[in-house]
Amino acid sequence: MHLELTMKQAVIRRTVRKFAEERLAPRAVQIDASGEFPLELAREMAGLDYFGLEIPPEFGGAGLDSVSYTLIIEEISRASAAMGVCVSVHNSVGAYPIYQFGTEAQRRSFLVPLARGEHIGTFCLTEPNAGSDVSSLETTAIRDGDSYILNGNKIFVTNGGVSETNLVFAVSNPSEPRKRFSVFIVESSRPGLEKGPIEDLLGMRGNAVCSISFHDCRIPVENRLGEEGQGLKMALSTLDGGRLGIAAQAIGLAEACLENSLKYAGERYQFGAPLTSFGTIQGFLADMATRIDAARLLLHRACRLRDQKQNYSSQSAMAKLFSSELAVDCARVGVQIHGGYGCTKPYAVERFYRDAKICEIYEGASEVQRMVIARHLLNA
Amino acid sequence: MNTNIVVCIKQVPDVAKVRIDHQRMTIIREGVDSIINPLDGVALEAALALREKEGGAITALTMGPLQSQEALREALASGADRGVLLTDPRFAGADTWATSKTLARAISLLQPAVDLILCGRQTIDSDTGHVGPQIAELLDLPQVCGVTEIHKEQDALTVKRISDGFLDTLRLSLPALLTVSHELCVPHYIPLGRLERAFSDIPLTRWGLEDLGLREEEVGFRGSATRVTRLFTPPPRRKGESITGASSLLVEHLIRKLEALGIIDEEHGTK
Repeated sequence: MHLELTMKQAVIRRTVRKFAEERLAPRAVQIDASGEFPLELAREMAGLDYFGLEIPPEFGGAGLDSVSYTLIIEEISRASAAMGVCVSVHNSVGAYPIYQFGTEAQRRSFLVPLARGEHIGTFCLTEPNAGSDVSSLETTAIRDGDSYILNGNKIFVTNGGVSETNLVFAVSNPSEPRKRFSVFIVESSRPGLEKGPIEDLLGMRGNAVCSISFHDCRIPVENRLGEEGQGLKMALSTLDGGRLGIAAQAIGLAEACLENSLKYAGERYQFGAPLTSFGTIQGFLADMATRIDAARLLLHRACRLRDQKQNYSSQSAMAKLFSSELAVDCARVGVQIHGGYGCTKPYAVERFYRDAKICEIYEGASEVQRMVIARHLLNA
Repeated sequence: MNTNIVVCIKQVPDVAKVRIDHQRMTIIREGVDSIINPLDGVALEAALALREKEGGAITALTMGPLQSQEALREALASGADRGVLLTDPRFAGADTWATSKTLARAISLLQPAVDLILCGRQTIDSDTGHVGPQIAELLDLPQVCGVTEIHKEQDALTVKRISDGFLDTLRLSLPALLTVSHELCVPHYIPLGRLERAFSDIPLTRWGLEDLGLREEEVGFRGSATRVTRLFTPPPRRKGESITGASSLLVEHLIRKLEALGIIDEEHGTK
């Protein structure tokens, strides 16, 4: 149920749902089973503006508002959570920062191909020793004349296996406590950039996640995004937006769990009646539906704040926290409703169960989201 | 050679998603999206293909409440050049005749003059297939219904359509009207950027009763020649019984069955 959508947003949702049902959903099982990134499908989606959702038309994008953007991610994720993550990460944290912080030249050369989906983008933050503890990251970017030399190791890079453009977060000023980090645009073709094998994942399979390491990787100064030492600020701002996409992705997954559960419970008979006639099951379904609507409203509110250019960090953290934990719970209940069948491959909830868990971990683990929210409460 | 095309579209409930309340035998329309009638989408796609080859302009035309502008904007996002909305409380309750009259008048007023009118063969809600042919008659235009292929040469069209198991090839001069069938083409997916723009910048033309120069008795409920007296969902048909086997056995079985049902009497034939 979607409240207060404009006519445009309603049509966008319907258009994407149609595409997702006809082109994505039939392939979702195969993408998960093979674990292979669906290149042809990605190309098709690129032609329909799915890789430039929030980027203005002058840079090759669709120029959509936050509400429309999250509706789209939700509808994609309802059909295939793996594609939802791919598109969300590319848009929110791969392409958007270049729009927000880039020079005109950087926008022309890097942003346009990203918006058109000719290139796929990543945001390389996490390292073996730096997950939630971002400030412990060790990748260095040392200034050398008109270049920087990058050395370090990034792991769990979403879209890493298929990316052309990577935003890399590195220590450029080790001696300045509050201005240690900068962000760099590094093309995959740069000598010294090496990609590891694609991770064999529990869920979100088909997403090309891998490590990217830098060995004396030299990049021109022009590839630095924003000012030196502003990396942390840019990353936090970017992640605020990224959370909206992930919240939407989790909601889409939760919705799929509910729909599958409704259908199964209506058809499965035990004790002479369909499961839907039992109070316990009705309770499960009612709770799922209520919390999914609540998640949407939380997300909607955060999107509105963002579009009004207001501070939305705490609200986006709430949206991400709530919907990611909801997705895991809906997947768990979904499998429970399906009983033994829910633990077999032919039933979609099996895949949802595996896909859901990472939602509580990436783009800021639930524990980190709670820190963000608490900080706002305590500072107010 | 520029072809000016009008595509008539109608906003309809997404019948595939409509559920039936079996107790009250009514249609549950809550939560059901309004969509462009699928065959109208095919007509629009055909118009786009013609414009690509020949040049010209495409006008999307619809009659309906203000809400129908959603369908027009979607048509604009698909590639139509302009949208015309015929909206007026007095148009409400129109049957296909009154609807056709209203649409035909609007078409006759469009500038530049229209060369080709494309309609879906029928809608998924009413299924009558009346409006296209009625518009053609009112405008005194040649028409072919259920077209599966269109080729344009100069001022003429060669079209194919399947009728009663025959594949006909027909030639018409322009201006003309065609209603299209699913086999003609598959509508493309709309790029999202185009949807954003179609709902922002482009003004729609809105015409009411006075703009069309029609009288109140000619349109809407008052202008309708037919009345809907009852709308119902037929009760689900019982499945018949199917029997297979050698003919002699089948006959034997059938006779037994008909006797058991009391339809025939062994001694005296049918009762």
